[in-house]
Parts: sequence; C-alpha cells; structure tokens
Amino acid sequence: MLEIKDLKKRFGDTVALDGVSLSAEPGEVVGFVGANGAGKTTAMRIAMGVLAADSGEIVYNGAPLGTEQRRRFGYMPSERGLYPKMKTGDQIAYFGELHGMSRAEAKRSTAELLEQLNLTGRIGDNVQDLSLGNQQRVQLAVSLVHDPEVLILDEPFSGLDPIAVDVMGTALKERAAAGAPVIFSSHQLDLVERLCDSVVIIGAGKIIASGSVEELKAREVKQLRVRVDTAEDLTAQLPGKVERDGEDYLVEGADDQEVLRIAAAAGRVTHFAYDQPTIAEIFREAVTK
Amino acid sequence: MSDQNAEMSRMRGLMLVAGREIRVRGLSRANVISLIVTVVIVGILAALPAIIGDDGPTEVGLAGANAPAMEAQLEAVGDYETTVYDDADGAEQAVADGEVEAAVADGKLYSEDGVDAELQAVLDSAWQAASVEANLAAAGLTPEESQQALATESLESVTLSEGGVNSTLDYFAGLIISIVMFMMLMTPVQYIAMGVVEEKSSRIVEILLTSLKPWQLLGGKVIGLGVISLINLVAMVAVGLGVAAGTGRLDSLPDGMASAALSSIGWWLVAFALFGTLAGGVGSLVSRQEDAGSVLTPLIMSLTLSYLGAIFLLNAPTSTFAQILSIVPPFSGITMPTRMAITDVPAWEIALALGLLAAAAVGALALGATLYKRSVLYTGSRLKLTEALKRAA
Repeated sequence: MLEIKDLKKRFGDTVALDGVSLSAEPGEVVGFVGANGAGKTTAMRIAMGVLAADSGEIVYNGAPLGTEQRRRFGYMPSERGLYPKMKTGDQIAYFGELHGMSRAEAKRSTAELLEQLNLTGRIGDNVQDLSLGNQQRVQLAVSLVHDPEVLILDEPFSGLDPIAVDVMGTALKERAAAGAPVIFSSHQLDLVERLCDSVVIIGAGKIIASGSVEELKAREVKQLRVRVDTAEDLTAQLPGKVERDGEDYLVEGADDQEVLRIAAAAGRVTHFAYDQPTIAEIFREAVTK
Repeated sequence: MSDQNAEMSRMRGLMLVAGREIRVRGLSRANVISLIVTVVIVGILAALPAIIGDDGPTEVGLAGANAPAMEAQLEAVGDYETTVYDDADGAEQAVADGEVEAAVADGKLYSEDGVDAELQAVLDSAWQAASVEANLAAAGLTPEESQQALATESLESVTLSEGGVNSTLDYFAGLIISIVMFMMLMTPVQYIAMGVVEEKSSRIVEILLTSLKPWQLLGGKVIGLGVISLINLVAMVAVGLGVAAGTGRLDSLPDGMASAALSSIGWWLVAFALFGTLAGGVGSLVSRQEDAGSVLTPLIMSLTLSYLGAIFLLNAPTSTFAQILSIVPPFSGITMPTRMAITDVPAWEIALALGLLAAAAVGALALGATLYKRSVLYTGSRLKLTEALKRAA
C-alpha cells in the first residue's frame, strides 16, 4: 500500500501543496483529478522523489519510501521525455537496467512490451523517427519495462489516439490486477470513471473530495427520476419539489417510497432511480464550491 | 538492502550512464567518421618524413675548371649526385631540362628559380674550397700540401643557458601536445554540455532521476565522454607510432617524446575532470540547445586562452610569463605539458602546477555537481549562476 501523507510544498510565495494526503491499496486504481495548477504534478513528483517536499512523507507498505524501493516503481511524467537519437529497443532496455534489471531480463521484457504495444517492427528505429502516438507508447513501455510494483502516471492518456487509449487502459488494469497500486492523473474524466476504483479531487493544493467512485456518486445524489406510462400529469400529486425533464419527473426532498406508491397508482413505472452524477459533474461541483 | 548491495547499485548506475554515453556517442556516425578522418590525417603526417626523405640525393651539374675538385667536395658531404658536363652551356641546358636541380660552372650558380639556403651554403663552401685548392695549386703547392693547409675541424657547440629549447623536434612535440590537449578537452566538454541540455530539454531527466542520483547522471556522462576521448587518443597515437615504426622513422623521434605523451594523459585526466564537470554544471542552467552556447562561453574562452598561451609559450619557453602561465589553473592543464615537452621544468614547478590544478578540479567537481543538482529539474529561461547557487536542491 502506498500512502502520501500530509504533503506541503511552497515555490517562493506560491503554495503548491497544502496538506495533501492520498493512498492506493494493492490492486487499486486511483484517479487523481484537478484543474491545471491544482498540484497534481507536484504531488506526483514528490512521490517519485524527483522533488523534495517541505513537509509530509511517503509511506510504502508501512515504512518510509526509500530510493531502492522507488526504483521498482513505474513513472510517467507529464512532460514526456525520451532520448530522440536512441533506438527504441535500446532505450526501453536501458531504463530496465537503470531500474535494476540484468541486461538479459531488460531485453526480454522490452521485446514482450513492444509486442504488446505493436511496436516490434520499430525496435531498431530512433525514437525521433516515430510518430507522436508511437512515442507515447514507447514512453509507456519505459514506465512498465521493469514490471513495476507501483505505477504513478501523470496524464498518461493525453495525446493518445483512441486505440492507444485502450492499450494504455488495459495495461493499467492488468498491472492493478497483478496487485500493483496505480495512481494516475487525467483530465479525461470519462476515462477516470471507467478505469478507477477511487477518485481523489485536488483543488488549489488541497484535497477537496476523495473516495470510491460509488461513494462519491452516492454523496452527490439529490434527485429521484421517475418515468410513468400515463397521460395524466402527476406534478401536483407527487410530494416534495417536482420538476419535469421531458417525460420524466425529477423529485427532490420527498419520501421515495411514497413517490413510488403514487406513481404506481397512476400507471406503469418504467424508470425509478436516483440520478447519479458523472465524475465530471462531481468534479465541477467540488471545484466550484 | 545491505550496504554492499547499495554500493554496488550506485556504481552500476554510474556505469550504466557511462556505458550509454559510450554506445550512443562513441558509436555515433559523427564520432566514427571524425575518428577515421583524424586517424588518416595522423597516418599521413607520420608517413610524411619517410615520403619526403625518399626522393633521393640532390642532383647537381658541374662544369669548368673546378668541376673535379667540387665533385670531390660534394661527395665528401654526401647525399649529392654530381654530373660533370663539358661546358657551362651544357650545364645550363641540364638545369633547363630538369636533369639536375642546380649547376655550378665558371663561378656561376644556375638554377630554375633559386635554390634553398642549405643547397646554397653547401655549394658555396664547396666552390670556395675548390677555388682555394686551385689557388694553392697555382701557388705551387702539391695536392697533399694544399689538403693539409685546408684541414680544419668543425665547430664544437657549447650551450650556456640551461632550459633553452632543446630542438626543433621538441618544438613540434610541444605543438602537437598543445593541439591534441586542446581538442581532447574542447570536444568532450561541448558534448557533455549538449548531453545535459538534451536530457533537460527532452525532460527525460525527470524519469532518470527517479532511479539515479544527480551525481550518477553527471558523473556517468563525464566518465563516458572521457573514455570516448581516450579511445580516440589511443587510436591516434597507435596509428601515428605504428606508421612511424613501419616506415622506420621511430628512432628519429625526440628522446622525451614517449614520456611527454604519457604525462600528458595524466594532465589531461585532471584538466578534463575540471572542465567536464563544469560543463555539466553550466549546461544544466539552460533548458534549450540554443542557449547552451552562451553558458559554455567562459569555458571555451579559458580553453582557447590556454591553447593560445601554449603557443606563446612554445616561442618563449623560458620567459616569466610562460612560467606563470604554466602554473596557474586552469591554463596549466594545457600549458604545463606543452612546456614540459619543449624545455626542462624544475620538479617543484610541476608539483605546484599539478597540485593547484587538482585543487581547482576538486572545486570544479563540487561546483559543477551543485549547479547540476540544483538546476537540472528547473525548466524555463536560463538560470543565472547566482540564482542557481541560491536555489535549494
């Protein structure tokens, strides 16, 4: 389990992080969401040891995270970086070795990843000769080559075509299924909703909401959506505050069982459920609060 | 993880970085081509004395009364082939036809467009000796008596000043050492700075630093480029000496050449540690390749000044300025080995220069590593040196 505890960081007069905490269990995919400049990248850089925090700590499996353990993490920074004039295969294997693999292990793992990412034919090409999308795949391979225990990915989906998004999403799910805690940040909230077990929302250096996707959705639920197969207008009959949304009635602040009874009496109930906000709506709500 | 394992992984990280530099830079087309070109040039230069020396003896035409006497004189000097013509016209025609390089007849020296100083001197003295012999014969002396009268011993050379230029060959040895030292510092220093900027501008440094410490990244780069430079140097020296040995000219190298070349490698190592780490440090101040030139200027200036200093020193090796120049770092890195090749340097001066250079290198290591550590993750406009030093790591 990876825990980020009470991180604080200032750049000059700017407060970048003001007591940020989040955690990821083994096998859990955590979406890290926030507006530009909210502190996502700073928090992830600190977790990866690239930046030092003013205070706070990173705890891995109950003990402060050390350099040796961190070498078994996989990291994709928001600013993508590869050696432009180095061959794809050599480059991925080099990072495998830097992460502590033997040369043979690194080469084998590189070949496997290139196969998975449909890049086998480009193994001897310089990275600068690849398309941007393929460079992104190489970037992913660099963060996965050493079979990382933990994945920390900053905007892994940005700039990817839909096929690459699927490849990336599958890769993340696979790592999580293998027991790795996965934390990634993204502005593509539909992806976050689809892939993540839990979501952490950060705004201006503070965590403003966090929890499992279901918890967050349940917390924001307000309206009961009812659809009844009847010509009759039930607006006056239903209790609480009632609004029409096309054919549907949106009911707020009423006993749901009573609403169901009245609706059922009027006709066949074809839809009866609380509206669940999307993660995007929750995010907008949380950020504008 | 045990201390020993941690130590091993530290060294492994350093060596992995160095290994990548050697593979990617050393085997790059640019480096391989430049190495081949340099080696070919060195090979040709080394073969040149043999090629020039093989054009045989100088051919001289003779005619007139003094011809037999001059023939004897020139034979005694050696390396001259003489042809005696019937008259001055025949000798002149031989020069015009290119059969001989020069001809002497009836007190005149015929040549196509003048002769070099050495040939002129030899012919002059042969002519004078032959004329004196003829005059003595005219005065009634027998050939034996005239030879006795002409017998002289050549001058014995006595040098009063110690530490003067040993010989022309030493001058060239010094010149070659200064040029090679300059090139061997200039090229890798630029590559180090470019490599640091490349990692910074491509942002790859952020991934690297999750598994490497800044000192491993900088140190590996400096070591890698140092090894490439050494390989290039060894290739040049091996080809140069190989060709010299193959053409049988190895014996004509100055006595101290081998030891001067060896000690130069030692000087190079210290100077490279100084310039290499500084280059890495200043390289990390900028984020774009276009800005690399401006931060490198002070380093390139000091290297160029060191080289110009070495050239000055070659022409005035015993001057006080040369003495100071060869002791003060960073100039001593190039100037001292140059001075050592051309003249005898007191041991204490060598020790002082080496000590100061090593101290400067240690300072440069600390400064370069600090600059690098503090600014390598900073992106944006160029950092000022003072800003970088004030920044927290």
